[in-house]
This record gives sequence, structure tokens and C-alpha cells, in this order.
Amino acid sequence: MSDMALFDLAARNAKWLGARQAVIASNVANVHTPGYKAMEMRAFEDTLARTKLTLSATSARHLGATDAPVTDGAKREAASWDTVYSGNSVNLEQQMLKAGEVTRANSLNVSLVKAFHRMYLSSVKG
Amino acid sequence: MMDPLSAAMKAAAAGLQAQSTRLRVVSENISNAESTSAVPGGDPYARKTLNFQGELDRAAGVTLVRASEPGLDDAPFRLERDPGNPAADAAGMVKRPNVDVLIEMADMREANRGYQANLQVIKQSREMVSMTIDLLRS
Repeated sequence: MSDMALFDLAARNAKWLGARQAVIASNVANVHTPGYKAMEMRAFEDTLARTKLTLSATSARHLGATDAPVTDGAKREAASWDTVYSGNSVNLEQQMLKAGEVTRANSLNVSLVKAFHRMYLSSVKG
Repeated sequence: MMDPLSAAMKAAAAGLQAQSTRLRVVSENISNAESTSAVPGGDPYARKTLNFQGELDRAAGVTLVRASEPGLDDAPFRLERDPGNPAADAAGMVKRPNVDVLIEMADMREANRGYQANLQVIKQSREMVSMTIDLLRS
């Protein structure tokens, strides 16, 4: 495992958080659309576990050789607090809570990257 | 593939537009709550209704929202006896619009709340972008 794995992990997490924010934005935009089901990203740990190693494909008939990016196919229907009569399962309070979570996690992620960067700088400068 | 944070802001902007269209329709209904017909015995203003549709944007990978063209509410008009009114028919009855101001007010509140939520999402997405940009400054 290389030392740079820290930055790679942080970049993947930032990508995942951005995708999650996009999913939340779709949910909030469709808060009054009849029949719309609230979506949610798969947990980051699962996404990471699924995208670790993939077999390389030398033929189109090979199985399990898809090289999917972090954010593809990671959406699923969310467990919602309530569903209203029109079939819409978006709960505004729940979505705002999730958006707050995303911002907080992003802030943590960025601070960690800054800390790693400082560590590298101090070891390079001596 | 579009940057997810830009996609988030695009979806929220579509939400803002849909909710403001809804607010416009509500204000049309309230301002015409007493508009009667121009000809005797004619139909008055009919309440307008709006529907939202989800629309998948494949390039951005998000579901945008779009307000449909306004339709007309087919609820019956209120009948009122007022022989002196220019819009009264031969029996002296006037048709009043089928607008209930209370319902319109509740609708307005809901649209307002949706608008605020979309605005909040835009603010947070922008904050996330600027946090990332700030990495270059330290």
C-alpha cells in the first residue's frame, strides 16, 4: 500500500460526497412530484469494497469484468420517514438532515487533506 | 459525465423554477378570486392547477423537475343571487369563480417551503465547492 493511498481515499470520498449531494438535490427538487420515490447512495464502505479490484476483460463474453466508476449504479430507493397520498416519499426534513451530514463530512475530508499536506511539507522541508 | 456538485446545483435550480411557476399560478388564482364573466350568464374565471413531472437528465445523472402547462380545475362554480350584477343571467344568478383562497394560501406556503429547501441545497453545494478550492490557498 503506497503512502499516497491517503490522498486517493480522500479523493474517492470527495467524489462520493458530491454524488450524494446530487442525489439529495434531485430529491429536494422533486419534493412535490407525484409518484417520485426518494433515492439514496449506497454507503461509502460498500462502494469502496465493490470498486477495489476488477478482472481485466480480453473478450466481450468475459463475466465480472466491468470497470464501473465509483458513482455508477450506486443509487437505490431510500427508506423514507413517510410517503404522502400522491405516492411521493421525499421528506424535506430528512433530506435537509442528510444535506447537513454531507457538508459536515466534506468539511472533515478537506481538513484531513490539509493535515496530510502539512505533514508531507514538514517532512520534505525538514 | 458532469461534475456531481454542478449537477446538484442544476437540479436545485430546476426545483426553484418549478416552485416559482407554482407561486405564479397561485397568485393568478388569488387575484382572480372574484373575477366574473364579461357577458351576462357566462362562465367566470376557472381556477388553474399545476402538476410537477420528474425528468431524468442523463448527462448530469440527476432527476430534474418540470412544471406542466397549467390545467383548469373542473370543480363547479359558486352560484350567487345578485340580479344587479352585469354578469347575472335571466334568473338573476351570477357564477363566481371556483377559487378557495384558503386552499391557495396553503398551496403558497407549500411552494414557499419547497423554494427555501432548494435554495438551501444550492448554498450547501456552493460551500462544498469553495471548501475544495480553499485547499489551494493554504
